[in-house]
Formats: sequence, structure tokens, C-alpha cells
Amino acid sequence: MTAERLGGAPGRIPLDALDRDGALTESAERLGSRGEFLRGGAVSIAVGALALPGAARAATHNADEDILNYALSLEYLQAAFYTEAERVGALSGRLAEQARVVGSHERAHVEALQSLLGGRAIKRPRFDFQGVTENPAQFRQTAVAFEDLGTAAYKAEAPKIQNAEYLAAAVRIHSVEARHAAWIRRVAGSVPAPDAFDEPKARPRVERLVASTEFVVADPVTRTSSEPRFTG
Amino acid sequence: MGAVAVAVVGAGAAVALVGSSDGSGADRPSLPPPRDPAFVVGKPPTLNSAHTSEWASVAGAAVARRAPAASAAAVARVPALTPEGTGNIVQILGRSLRSGRLWLDVRLPSGAAGVHGWLPRKALSGYGFVRTRLVVDRARLRATLLRNGRPVFRAPVGLGRPEAPTPAGDFYIRNRLTRYASPAYGPVAFGTSARSDQLTDWPAGGFIGIHGTDQPALLPGRVSHGCIRMRNDSIRELERLMPIGTPLTIR
Repeated sequence: MTAERLGGAPGRIPLDALDRDGALTESAERLGSRGEFLRGGAVSIAVGALALPGAARAATHNADEDILNYALSLEYLQAAFYTEAERVGALSGRLAEQARVVGSHERAHVEALQSLLGGRAIKRPRFDFQGVTENPAQFRQTAVAFEDLGTAAYKAEAPKIQNAEYLAAAVRIHSVEARHAAWIRRVAGSVPAPDAFDEPKARPRVERLVASTEFVVADPVTRTSSEPRFTG
Repeated sequence: MGAVAVAVVGAGAAVALVGSSDGSGADRPSLPPPRDPAFVVGKPPTLNSAHTSEWASVAGAAVARRAPAASAAAVARVPALTPEGTGNIVQILGRSLRSGRLWLDVRLPSGAAGVHGWLPRKALSGYGFVRTRLVVDRARLRATLLRNGRPVFRAPVGLGRPEAPTPAGDFYIRNRLTRYASPAYGPVAFGTSARSDQLTDWPAGGFIGIHGTDQPALLPGRVSHGCIRMRNDSIRELERLMPIGTPLTIR
């Protein structure tokens, strides 16, 4: 994927950006008319909400903390995705089971990284999954891309971590993300381990993909200093 | 990375390999003991969906319909903003996927009769989830905030006079007002989706608020035009405990 391609199609990510082995394309084609949406929509959504808020990033001086906050932003995205899917209740069978178990893992990852970062942890963003958690086919496609992306993102950043404890923490999470990726690929009918070697995805690339999904939204303005106009 | 990972994650195996590589291991420094783990993995947190309510912000003005179909009769227009200028929100009651199009059954601002309607998913933004509920008992003149079904806050309240009663029904909290000028509303006010059945021509639609007061001696009592009044220390405590989107039951 190149910046030029992204720039030429704002809000949409070419499927091949994530679909190295063609599993998503095949799956989308099997879905018939809905496949067109999945090619243009769900995959772009799938690459999620990793773009750290500028202020949060600038405030993170320590390089390891910056990486951990990047990981936390990924975990926020995944945790919110599965949690919303479970709460909405539109999934069933193996897919619902995957969402329930993986969701609990992702929430545990969030808690672990938050405990590691303490007061330096970035704030949880607000997400709008645009109906994907409410549509089993779209959920499945997006979950495949999420887990592949999460695994690749950890792989790119873990070698840069200096602190051995932080590295150990990241490695413990990374392997679980890989298991999640294999699980949801199996559920989706894709090859769980398509290659002998996995490639990392560099952070700028991940963040570009994320930013283009428009999955992170601003908090609604629900507080004001306007004069009350109630009946009194 | 690999060497460190082995030292941390599999220190025992690594030490054994070093010690046995030349038969004695006496001339090699042993690896340091494993560090304490950076975090302790607890039981993965499962969801408890009991007592959970769902809300969503309105992405743009939309028309709520009687059924989940664009051809269904219109129930109400749902504006993007509240009369106070904050983003409008709706409580979600259900959903329906029809012909690939998702519709949400939402509770709409209303009087005692209660109104709900169907909005297309694209009319809404991200979802919020709360595990709180505010219950106002009109007979006992008391408000109780529940979290996970258990009371966490109680306060005496002032409610509407007989000629302008506080409407009974199911509503939700829409916004929070602070630092305004009027002392009659105390330091904090919450906007709700409840509307007065009597004061229908009231400016801004006759919405019921929950707010503080500059006349605490009147509480509890039937003293308002329909709003729910609390002592200022109570409303400050409620501000700390009650998130936007909390369902409001007035009975």
C-alpha cells in the first residue's frame, strides 16, 4: 500500500492492503452482492482506530511508553469491537463464541497495558463501527482483518522495546493475537496460517490505514454552559 | 529480541542449555534470574449485560418511522441538537436487519405517553453503554440511582405541582449543564427526554430537567413546573455518579 493509493481513495482501503493470501477476497466473493461492500467497506473499517491523538502522542516522551500506548490504542479498538458485538447480540454459533472469548482477551489486554502505563495511558477513544458489529458477515470479515493487523503491528513494534519487562508483556500479547487471527480465519473459512513467515506492518502504514477508516469518532458534545431552558 | 525473550519467558530452559553446552558451565556467567512479570494476567473480564442500556448520538437530523422501513409512516423528526445546543442522543430499544439495511428502534423525547420510532443505522453515530438507571418515585418524592441494579445514591426531590405534574414514564438523560448564570437551577442541571404534558407551549419545548436549587427548604415537595429539583450537594453527587444516556424511570 502506498500513500498515493490511500490519498486517491479517501475512506476506502484496497483489499490487497491486508489480504495478502486472498482469503478476504475469496470470502467476499462467496457472499455475492454483499461482497462489494466488504471489499470497499468492511476492510477499510477493519484496519481500525490506531491513530493516536496528537496530544497523547506528544505527551509520551519515553519511547517504550509510546509503543505501549500505540499497542493500547490497538487493544482499545479490538476490545470495543468485540464488546459491542457481544452486547448487541447479532452473532450466533461459532462466531458469537469467538467474539465472546476474544473480547474477554482484548479487554484483559487493555487492563494489562493500562496497569503498565498507569497515569500515562492514553484515553480510550470513542468508536463508531457503523453497523459492522450488527451484521455477522461484515463482522467476520472485519475480525479477520483486525486480528491479522494486530498481529502484524505487534510484530513491527516489539523489537524496538528496550525494557525487558515491557517486551515480555508485548510478546505475551502478540502470540495471543496470532492465535486469535488463526481462530477467526478458521471460522471464516480461510487458511489459518497461510504463510511460513509473517511480515510486520510498520506503524506509519498501520496508522494511515486506521485514519482512513473513520472508525474513531469524536465524543458527542453533551455538556454545555448554556442557560437551562427546562420547565423549572 | 529473541535472546531477551528467552531470558524472560523461558529463563529456566535457557540456563539449562548454557550450563550443559560444554559439560560443566563453570566458566560461563549464569543468566540473571527472570524478572517479575510486568503485569499479572487475571481472569479475562467477561461481560455482564444485565442492567445495561444502550444509547447513540444522532449523526444528523432524521425522521423516525413507525416501522423499520423507509416507506413506513413518520413518527417524529429527530433533530441533531437538543434545545440546549448539545448533541442529541437517543436510547436504543431494539434493532432489525431488513434486506441488508439496519434499523434501530429508539426511544424519543416525549411526555407521559411515551414515543418510540425506527431510525436507519446511518442516522446514528457510535453507541454508548451504561449500567445505571435513575428512578424517581413521585409518591415518596425520592430519587434513587441504581448501578448494576443496586442503589448507589438516594436523595429527596421536589417535583411538579398538581397543575404541572412531573410526567410518569420511561425517559433518558440527554445532557449536562454547568457554569450557567441562573442560581435557581443550582450548580448542575441534567437535561432529560421527558416533556411536560401540561406546559406544551413552554419555550424550548417544555423539557423536564433535573437540577439543583436556591430554595432547598422547599424540598421535598411538589413545588416545580415539572422539573426534578434536588439539593445542591445531591445534584453534585449525582453529577459524579450518573453518565449521559442513563435511563430515567419516573413512576
